[in-house]
Amino acid sequence: MGERAVTHARRLTLAHLWVAFAAFAVAAVLGVWQMWARSPLPAPYLTAESYFTSVTAHGVSMAYVLTTFMVMGFGYYVAETALGRPLPLPRFAWLGFWLGIIGSAMTAVTIFAGNATVLFTFYPPLTASPFFYIGLVLVVVGSWIWCGLMLWAMLDFKRANPGVPVPLAMFATVANAVLWLWTTVGVAAELLFQIIPAAFGWNESVDVGLSRTLFSWTLHAIVYFWLLPAYIAFYTMAPQAAGGRLYSDTMGRLTFILFLIYSLPVGMHHLFMDPQQSSAFKFLQMSFTALVAAPTLLTVFTISASLEIAGRLRGGKGYFGWIAALPWERPMVLATGMAFFMLWFGGGGGLINMSFGMNAMVHNTSWVTAHFHLIFGGTVVIMYFAIAYAIWPTLTNRLPMSPRLQRLQLWLWFIGMMVMTLPWHYLGLQGQWRRVATFNYSDPIIAGWGPWVIVSLVGGIILLASALLFVWNLLQFHSARAVVATDLRPIYALAVHPPERVPAALNGFALWNVLVLVLMVAAYGYPIAQFFIIDAPEAIVHRVNGRG
Amino acid sequence: MKPAELREIDRPWRIWASVIIVSILAFSVVFGFLVLPIVQGRAAGLDAFTAICRAVGILPGSPAVKQPTSEAKAQPTTQVAWSTDLMRTFGRRTQAGAEIAQGCVACHGEHGIAADPQNPNLAGQSAAAIYKQLHDYKSGSRVHDVMTGIAQGLEDRQIVEVATHFASSARRDLDPTTAEVVDEDVIRLVERGDPSRGLPACNSCHGFNAGGPIETPTLSHQNREYLARQLQAFKTDARRNDIYTRMRSVAVKLTDREIERLATFYATTLSY
Repeated sequence: MGERAVTHARRLTLAHLWVAFAAFAVAAVLGVWQMWARSPLPAPYLTAESYFTSVTAHGVSMAYVLTTFMVMGFGYYVAETALGRPLPLPRFAWLGFWLGIIGSAMTAVTIFAGNATVLFTFYPPLTASPFFYIGLVLVVVGSWIWCGLMLWAMLDFKRANPGVPVPLAMFATVANAVLWLWTTVGVAAELLFQIIPAAFGWNESVDVGLSRTLFSWTLHAIVYFWLLPAYIAFYTMAPQAAGGRLYSDTMGRLTFILFLIYSLPVGMHHLFMDPQQSSAFKFLQMSFTALVAAPTLLTVFTISASLEIAGRLRGGKGYFGWIAALPWERPMVLATGMAFFMLWFGGGGGLINMSFGMNAMVHNTSWVTAHFHLIFGGTVVIMYFAIAYAIWPTLTNRLPMSPRLQRLQLWLWFIGMMVMTLPWHYLGLQGQWRRVATFNYSDPIIAGWGPWVIVSLVGGIILLASALLFVWNLLQFHSARAVVATDLRPIYALAVHPPERVPAALNGFALWNVLVLVLMVAAYGYPIAQFFIIDAPEAIVHRVNGRG
Repeated sequence: MKPAELREIDRPWRIWASVIIVSILAFSVVFGFLVLPIVQGRAAGLDAFTAICRAVGILPGSPAVKQPTSEAKAQPTTQVAWSTDLMRTFGRRTQAGAEIAQGCVACHGEHGIAADPQNPNLAGQSAAAIYKQLHDYKSGSRVHDVMTGIAQGLEDRQIVEVATHFASSARRDLDPTTAEVVDEDVIRLVERGDPSRGLPACNSCHGFNAGGPIETPTLSHQNREYLARQLQAFKTDARRNDIYTRMRSVAVKLTDREIERLATFYATTLSY
């Protein structure tokens, strides 16, 4: 491995991750202000327009910029370190990066100019300035380049090492790349054929049913695109950090394959209350959604077993003694424990959301917002922090004196997220609706919500403190004393039985792509085709950047 | 490992993975497309075939509920239905529009700027807003001693033409002696509303760039007396052509003093 190439990928990774976390820090500030705006306490600068501008900026930064750049940067890192080979075509990687930067900047300018108060979901007939969408398309195109490079890197490795299993971290990263290519088809079709023409004024009406259906194709799978780095850390980094071994490499491969399969034909569970889809297809997609529990439980089992190995190696005894024996002072181990804890609550809430009947009670309430903050902001983002803490020393060759502030930051995030989201869930059950700027607290029913919103706001403030501390901690890496060049590889866990020969099915994605195609045709074939068969009424496009 | 060996260990994976996934698909299809609709449809008094067609989405309605029958007659507050065909007709200023506008001069002024502040200015108003009001006068959704008769004499095409004509006319200049009246309370109402009374911000519909309904009129440059009188009409339920009682539910919560101040604000401001 050439030293120059390694340095190159480090810069690439650092560039991506810094963009991701810079967007995250800005969005965290906006998030607190939004919670303040929704509370009974008078918030500064609050108008409906400023609120929706802020929510749009918060959503886009957290859900598109933080995640995409994090996944890409981490992917480049894994491709090089797990495969032990230089990244192929680094120029294309930089091209993808700059496309993402230009796209993000274009989107940000449009939002803060007040021309995109449409939130980060693409639900016409409300449309923003076309530059909002074009910016986001550029980010997606940049990420497609990343997908191509990940596939290329894996195939290159396979060609050079016939019969050798692709390391799990890379296999999972490519699973995410394949997942992302499938995922973006829906939203790309919606943007290119419906929304961008409408935003430019070329179309005066839009088939809302079709666009909601296409967006649902993307809307759930995208969550798994964000989630998979966390799972990669669970499987490949946490057991090593705990001083143990991965209980089963095969379980890991199966988990990522199941995520690929069962994240896609399930998006209609976001449309349970929509009239344009029939109940049988909603039922079909609900069944597939339920199966997402399989990889989740596989993971909980495998990682608990892996940590148990570590705990017992460290002298833990009895049924639960191994838990106490784990090295909780290490950020990766601590974050994994916290992520699992939040996963129980978030996953439990998710089961309610995806149940056709129960969904009716929480649909479009704060419950949903609280759910995705807990599962994404909680479980996933806390693992982003842990990943950053784990790989930053190898990126900078520097190590701060003590991980004490890192632990403090993780604890603050964990506590803040629980304090913010649990009351928020409760308010959803009380019927508090989402996507509104202010509440009428003089209404006696709504008045009772006030104290709980304030509790959530306190959680938000703790989260902001944690977010700022996180950025501070990363800066500490850059200013810390240089250490002897760290080896790039040892952060990945070995399996108890390291894979020697792996069936092609667990070493590539050909079979699974075919099965995904079958499921997608079954789940989305007629639901999309019906809009072309049946003459559906269209809605008049409503552009927020100008009258009419 | 040799390729033949690799294929050997891969085969069961391919077969079993496909079998399991196709079985799950088959189970969901049988249950969701057949069993549930038939069972639920029976309870709703539907035959199996209808229930299945409804479940698949070929027939409208839910397989679990009987289609409700209703004797109620809809009584819309307005007869205007926005369609792309209608929207497409706006935007081109025609000679015919200018000619029809000649009939408006007496009350609305030569260039759509009324001399009597009791009457609205039309110059620069959105075409959709003018169309909606004229159409409502014509259909009887809104009533006025003079306007009802005039609107009934216009064809739909003529309403579009005259609306387009006024929409593309230049707005009134503001009187420099009254401009820049800063009224903090009213600005708060306009920008933020008053959540404690369930009052939305005026700007949430009437603001520039707002996401309000298509027929929402522009309020700045409007005459003070006209605005105040309309808010009072909404407040007292004398005017009822607002869909979903949007304006009536707002106006009824405004005090008379606020109505006066809001009217003054909009009549003397440029930027909203």
